[in-house]
Amino acid sequence: MKITNGKDFWAGLMFVAFGLAFMWKSQDYAMGTSVRMGPAYFPSVLGGLLAILGAVVLFRAFVSKVDNPLSVFPFKLWRLVIGLALGVAAYYTQPGHGASIALEMGHTILAGVAVGLIFAAFGERSLWVVLFSVVVFGYVLKPLGLVAAVVLLVVISAWGGHEFKYKEVAILSVALAIFSVLAFVKGLGLPMNVWPGLWE
Amino acid sequence: MESLFANLALGFGVALSIQNLLYCLLGVLLGTLIGVLPGIGPVATIAMLLPVTFTLNPTSALIMLAGIYYGAQYGGSTTAILVNIPGESSSVVTCLDGYQMARQGRAGPALGIAAIGSFFAGCVATVIIALFAPPLAEVALKFGPAEYFSLMVLGLIAATVLAHGSLIKAIAMVILGLLLGLVGTDVNSGVARFSFGVSELSDGIGFVSVAMGVFGFAEIIANLEQKEKREIFTKKVSNLLPSLQDFKDSWASILRGTALGSFLGILPGGGALLASFAAYTLEKKVSWNSANFGKGAIQGVAAPESANNAGAQTSFIPLLTLGIPSNPVMALMIGAMMIQGIAPGPQVMTERPQLFWGMIASMWVGNLMLVVLNLPMIGMWIKLLMVPYRILYPSILVFCCIGVYSISNSPFDVMQTAAMGVVGYIFVKLECEPAPLILGFILGPLMEENLRRAMLLSRGDALVFFQRPISLTMLVIAGVLLAVVLAPAVRKKREEAFVEA
Repeated sequence: MKITNGKDFWAGLMFVAFGLAFMWKSQDYAMGTSVRMGPAYFPSVLGGLLAILGAVVLFRAFVSKVDNPLSVFPFKLWRLVIGLALGVAAYYTQPGHGASIALEMGHTILAGVAVGLIFAAFGERSLWVVLFSVVVFGYVLKPLGLVAAVVLLVVISAWGGHEFKYKEVAILSVALAIFSVLAFVKGLGLPMNVWPGLWE
Repeated sequence: MESLFANLALGFGVALSIQNLLYCLLGVLLGTLIGVLPGIGPVATIAMLLPVTFTLNPTSALIMLAGIYYGAQYGGSTTAILVNIPGESSSVVTCLDGYQMARQGRAGPALGIAAIGSFFAGCVATVIIALFAPPLAEVALKFGPAEYFSLMVLGLIAATVLAHGSLIKAIAMVILGLLLGLVGTDVNSGVARFSFGVSELSDGIGFVSVAMGVFGFAEIIANLEQKEKREIFTKKVSNLLPSLQDFKDSWASILRGTALGSFLGILPGGGALLASFAAYTLEKKVSWNSANFGKGAIQGVAAPESANNAGAQTSFIPLLTLGIPSNPVMALMIGAMMIQGIAPGPQVMTERPQLFWGMIASMWVGNLMLVVLNLPMIGMWIKLLMVPYRILYPSILVFCCIGVYSISNSPFDVMQTAAMGVVGYIFVKLECEPAPLILGFILGPLMEENLRRAMLLSRGDALVFFQRPISLTMLVIAGVLLAVVLAPAVRKKREEAFVEA
């Protein structure tokens, strides 16, 4: 037996994993009867169906006439290992309430690097750079304000493309920052900090 | 008939108010804009705007969002014709002949016929909605839980059959979508399911996050992996009005495209994308000019462009009458209605006639705006096309992120969307179509609720779904659809059709 269709192989595995996970997790809830279905009933049935379909897809990967390599994603093990290690470290070193700002920021950066590395272990640069920029945006918007968040988002995400022109990125980030402040904060009245609100 | 006119009068009264006209204009302009720009579609845009619609009144919000969808169909053709890149997935087939026309120096007539065909189709589709929605809604009012459950089964099966790619994977995606939709608090027992103790998840996975992550972010990432290469015919666009000969050549194609598109739009799983593919295939078979298809035949532009606009609009019929989304955009419209506290379904027409008829009338108004505004504005859209993607995508990201963040003003939704982006990227890589997933996601809780009620009413007898005639009919159709598609001969044809197109 040889896997011919690598994409189907991983897709099948994914479906089986999801199906089994939902079935397994459903065991925590009441099953009920077919007359009075409990919260576990429908997801268990669906999870079972999904696992079966996944198995069929998995099986097809071995007999398919379509040729796809097994390595669908570029995968870098060491990035994942370090990322996970940092993530665990970040989880256990969470600063409590009343910790100093420097400590909190340091911790945020640690967590950010961990998430970034985990992303970076899979997929091309565009994937993890773009998603990392989004995550950074989400975390810095409240403490640093909209302007800084937009600039960071634009600069980091631009790095994920093919070309990075400093001048262009600088102009774009400033223009978008001004526009989003005007449109979203002034225009639509979204309640967001425009400037750093660390010390409030 | 008289009530129809009265209703339409009511609708136009609503649609022609200054505020709604403005939102309609905003919607169609935004729709054209994102239609012109490759790499961002109506799904991501509507998802992006959902949080913003909180502040609007429901009618204006839905008028604007609807405008984005059909406006995108107009814009998509511009990019297809001038750049040979589909600005919208539904314009894929327009590239074939439209770009060839542009290379022959006939970009003007190609753009013109696309706009005129779209306008004609839009008018017809508006009338079709006005005619068919009320009786359908009346039928739907009699539906019990068993009928609704079967209807959803049919809708989901049809959506997978009409999606391209592997059927089994599409069904698996539907089920995965249903399961993801079940995450959160169970309405009957109050148990927070699959939330892993995360309090934000007890409200369920955010719909906007799923739509934007799986469609928006994954699309950007996939686009970035490819090198961009564009060749734009800008200088040659002159004389937008097609000649008399062009009209003579293409009026039949416009009619056929409109008819086919209107029909396919109503089907569950249908919409603009399917309509344009089918119309092109049909036109290639029946047109006298079929030998020239792919070499710049005007019929090959007129038919799919009419069809995608017709399909985009008639796909509102199942949404407005049954409360069932037929494609991801309609799933988002349901999301928009729910945000506004409107339960989608047949009762919308009777309980909120102003919303219902106002929206229908606005479609015609919007189409008029599109044809009047767009032809003169084509120069501006072309300028936009010159903007390189490396500038576009950070801008798109900014709007997406601000939109997502504003849902609950916390980083959680942004993280959730990023996570969904990873999932969406994996789907792209594994050739799993995300559209069925999003339909399943929105229908998950509804399906469970109706299944529960039906089983409670029948005292646990699953045969109830086969004993009630309407329910049985729908299940039989679903079964036949599946059987037909699985039949080897059809399966081969289906694969060919999607490859060819």
